[in-house]
Amino acid sequence: MSEERETRIFMISPESMITPDQLVRTIHAMGKEVTVKETCYGCLVEGSRDLVKDILAEVRKKHPYEIFSKVRAYPAGDPRRCRAQHGTRPGYAQLEAEWQALPWVQNGLMCADKGEKYKLPEEKKQFSAEKFKKICEAKE
Amino acid sequence: MKVFIDPPNSLILFDLVERFGHEPLSSMAAIQNKIDNVEVDMPPMNLTLEDVIKGLKYAGVEVPSGVRGRLSLWGPMIEEADAAIIMLDPPFNFGCVGCERSNEMVKYLIKRRGIPSISVNYPNNEEEAKATVGQIKEFLEGLK
Repeated sequence: MSEERETRIFMISPESMITPDQLVRTIHAMGKEVTVKETCYGCLVEGSRDLVKDILAEVRKKHPYEIFSKVRAYPAGDPRRCRAQHGTRPGYAQLEAEWQALPWVQNGLMCADKGEKYKLPEEKKQFSAEKFKKICEAKE
Repeated sequence: MKVFIDPPNSLILFDLVERFGHEPLSSMAAIQNKIDNVEVDMPPMNLTLEDVIKGLKYAGVEVPSGVRGRLSLWGPMIEEADAAIIMLDPPFNFGCVGCERSNEMVKYLIKRRGIPSISVNYPNNEEEAKATVGQIKEFLEGLK
């Protein structure tokens, strides 16, 4: 069993009806020896790598499309990052941006599992120099 | 297989790579290694001398130190990777915070290594997300 620490972010999609409190209770009910910290976006789970992976598998089984997860470098409640101790919180703007896109990704996952076809996005073409020249030389 | 993700700390990419049965190579793991094993005050903001030397392998001395610092973390991961997924134009990669020069360098390093890679758009609506997830799923299933 790997004793190496793993801290994981569990983020609930904004379209989901699950609350962070419900998620924390579900994880506590699994009876594993891990630390769970409720947050505004979901929760942080910290423990040995194997236990955290087991929890991730169980959460995915229960909520296959609504909960997203990634590892976190700093331990939960680390004074260098923790809001309670006025730590700097770099990366939260990114988490917020990705949180907003989660309902679309959730829907994308459901469609991919059903085998639905998707339309490939159009490739971006280089803006022609001629057009750019016209815009520059245009008189008001 | 080990899959390098760009942006290297993206939640969406990390989750998708794991879901489809591969190991994502992310900056979080590299930073955790420094937190647990190296006594550096606040990684990745603070570096060791070794990191600076590692960064020089990927970018010359005339390149801004921020680029070299980032590449000292990401460069070894690109070397370790068996495949790569690049997400184009994520909103948080814009401006000085995102460091476009480092991102360009990452794309170049992936291309130079010649590993299988895919570029997908950052989802800005439901249709785009459907295409992004579908493309990533097909790519990752093809790696097995």
